[in-house]
Amino acid sequence: MRDVIVIGAGGCGPVVAKELAAHGLDVLLLEGGPRHANPRQEWSLLENDASHLLNGYLRAGPQDRSKPAWYRELPQNSFLWQVAGVGGTTQHYFGNCPRAYPGVFSGYAGADRGNYDVGHLFPFGYSDLVPYYEWVEATLPVSTAPMGTKETVYFRGCETLGIPVQTTKTTKGPSYRPQENAILPPGGHAGLTTDRSKLVFPLSTGCTFCGHCIQGCMQPISVPRNLTARRSTDNSYVPMGLTANAWSPQGKAVTLVTDSMVTKIHTGLVDGRLSATGVTWRDNGTGEQHREDARVVVLAGGAVESPRLWLNSGLPNPNDWVGRGFTDHYLDLVCGVFDDEVGNSKGPHSSARCDFPGYGALQNVGIGPAIQALAMTSSDSGIRGQYTNGRGLTGNWDGATGRLAATELKDVLLHGVDRILNVVTLTDDDVRPDNRITLSAMPADENGPVPKVRMDQRGRSTRSVRNREFLARKAVDLLRGAGAKKVYRMDLAPLMMHVHSTMRMGVSETNSVLDANAESRAVKRLFVADNSALPNSIGGPNPTLTSQALATRTAEKIFRNYFGGDPWVTTGAPVVSTDQRITRRMAELGL
Amino acid sequence: MTEAEPNRRAFLTRMGLFGVLAGAAVAVPVAAHAGSSGGTVPSLVLDLVRPALNTVSRQTYNALTVFAVPGQDEYSTRQGTPRSEPGAIEARATDFMLHALDNFVPFPDELARPIAGTLAAGLGGVPITLSGGLLGLDLSAVDSLGGAVDALLANDEVLPLSMVVALLLNSLALRVNPLSATGVLQSPFARLTYAEKAKAFSLLEGGDSTLVGAADSDVPEPLRETVSGLSGYVGGSLLTFSAFSTYSEWAVFSTGTRSVTGVPVGWRISDHDPGVLDGWDDLRGYYQNRKAVAA
Repeated sequence: MRDVIVIGAGGCGPVVAKELAAHGLDVLLLEGGPRHANPRQEWSLLENDASHLLNGYLRAGPQDRSKPAWYRELPQNSFLWQVAGVGGTTQHYFGNCPRAYPGVFSGYAGADRGNYDVGHLFPFGYSDLVPYYEWVEATLPVSTAPMGTKETVYFRGCETLGIPVQTTKTTKGPSYRPQENAILPPGGHAGLTTDRSKLVFPLSTGCTFCGHCIQGCMQPISVPRNLTARRSTDNSYVPMGLTANAWSPQGKAVTLVTDSMVTKIHTGLVDGRLSATGVTWRDNGTGEQHREDARVVVLAGGAVESPRLWLNSGLPNPNDWVGRGFTDHYLDLVCGVFDDEVGNSKGPHSSARCDFPGYGALQNVGIGPAIQALAMTSSDSGIRGQYTNGRGLTGNWDGATGRLAATELKDVLLHGVDRILNVVTLTDDDVRPDNRITLSAMPADENGPVPKVRMDQRGRSTRSVRNREFLARKAVDLLRGAGAKKVYRMDLAPLMMHVHSTMRMGVSETNSVLDANAESRAVKRLFVADNSALPNSIGGPNPTLTSQALATRTAEKIFRNYFGGDPWVTTGAPVVSTDQRITRRMAELGL
Repeated sequence: MTEAEPNRRAFLTRMGLFGVLAGAAVAVPVAAHAGSSGGTVPSLVLDLVRPALNTVSRQTYNALTVFAVPGQDEYSTRQGTPRSEPGAIEARATDFMLHALDNFVPFPDELARPIAGTLAAGLGGVPITLSGGLLGLDLSAVDSLGGAVDALLANDEVLPLSMVVALLLNSLALRVNPLSATGVLQSPFARLTYAEKAKAFSLLEGGDSTLVGAADSDVPEPLRETVSGLSGYVGGSLLTFSAFSTYSEWAVFSTGTRSVTGVPVGWRISDHDPGVLDGWDDLRGYYQNRKAVAA
């Protein structure tokens, strides 16, 4: 019997695994997708090869790319961007690490306290989470992002908005700033050269400004895994877990099993209460079924897969909130076309942001031509100049919202993909019970019925719509202030990349799955530690840091409540994930 | 009344049955398809029908992908947006689309057959070219788009999603412009102007009740919205996938070397330079020279 089984080695499962392994627990970490052990031999950094939904190396599917990807039913015009494998979606994330707005927590007393999703607050206060933020920020580590060309243009626009620069970790009001991100700053030749002979570690350290965050980070050339620039969990927390005995006096290395999909969570009576007792998983390569038992099970499959596994396991769902309350930041995209190059496809994808607590956030997004074209042909407003699909919104942007297609799209791209500056809205999106994950009636896959992801774009709350409209107009102001000659607003169809709150923790037992410790109300010894555990969309900021902080807190709760240990975050000092003891041990292990 | 009008009226009548058929088929997996003669067709005839339908399908996707990215080809010219630069055809976007549709979305026969059968019923007035007349075969029952599909269905052939989507686009083409039933090329959708294709997409995206809305009316969760939801998803994906593939490296990517064998069409169009892939000299310092912030 294991002490703890963690299901999912994405953005948060490895956080729980590492923290508990550091304190001597026997942890099994199970991942449904591959571990990319040798990115230099596996990755191309090209857009289709990386991101093709069917067979891209960063897809949702088994390790063998010749096998089908995992189909998920989307019963609407939408796009769900999942990534399986060690690191999960942090393998393609931008590394941005803003904290949640204090207004989404219980006990917030600011003058704007009525301006948030007040029916679905965190069941504890912001100050409760701050030590865990600090712990994760030190571990990843998080630092202030440098600028590329596109950020200099973005800030030129910000300076016309009449809002101050934020110089604190905590957001206290409308403001703009460089991202706080989990990307090691450029050192040596990094960011200063295109000479590959100088882009080799340690001549270059940290971010090389390659421009391919979304295709996976393996920079600089020949870098040890735990010193890779972007701090996705495959580069940070997983190496720490695998080497816990090398850097923690009482540490016990995590056991990592990949390409193995958990298909069932088992339960039984423990101390007279229905409790999780273990899991069954299926080896994607051989089809063999395995079962192990554990004192505690942690579910961290992500906001779509976690409720799917819960439902497929037949676990209790007494208030019917498993899978409900799905939020996704109601993304919209505003694209500015400039006369001069703005460096769209170079550097980290997003190193600048604006925050508007009570509404959400803006950030720049740099991308290559294929994803740029994909984004500009995604809309809920039909095709510009042809039909509006009942929308076709007008405002301070040029023309109506809608897809660009054919001649218009081509002319924009012929002008140069590096002359486009994108700003995305990260909307404070309200929890709605009918936006949800259920089981699909379409054919099951080898792991059971597949999830059906319902997002009613036209049924968003009045506040969500207000927030998105506010943010879109600010984005246009920013781009015009920066000098854009033409500004398009897409009115995106659901682009589900920030996905949360489908297994939400909450104040009320009537509309939440988890208690304030992230433990299931219905099944004891079963915790959830991923974005699905968030009680709301955290106000709009990018969710990973907050989920990792929450997962750290959850690890402490597990250790204290089920293993009799003492909490460590407020009294201890975190080890940074770039520590040389980790580097050495990873090399010894050949990892 | 034009020659196409009786076909159109019959088609619209049959299309009204679409939702009921699709919904019923889920509950009764062996539901009969509409419009089938019920008999089997000689395998020699099927050998003629399959390539003809594939031709229609490829032409439909050629016409679709240039709707997203027009180029120097005849499909772009036909829709009225000829360009002097290469586009989707040169980027082999049709092959990308066929592969993506037929491998990504599992498309159970219980859904495919009634949908295809219903669509086929409205495509009986769309002639297709079969070369078997030279062999002395009677091809009168299969020399239309609808007849050919019926023949496949009657012989239990599996229809891939790409074929069903092609039938859907061609059905929409007839609704937008009944005269597209005949003409050069084999696909009605490929005979449309750009504005007419946009009109077809507006019908598809709008969840047109005649076409798909009724499909959801009598089915419980979790089946509710499966058919119309799939329609919405595919409708939204057709343009995005077409554009993504054209502007990506897909057509010139070598899996052996994990690199491109030439400059992708989309990179040429967008003046994209990936450089050495491992780094750019784009560091511009720190905003206000601040490298750290307070708590």
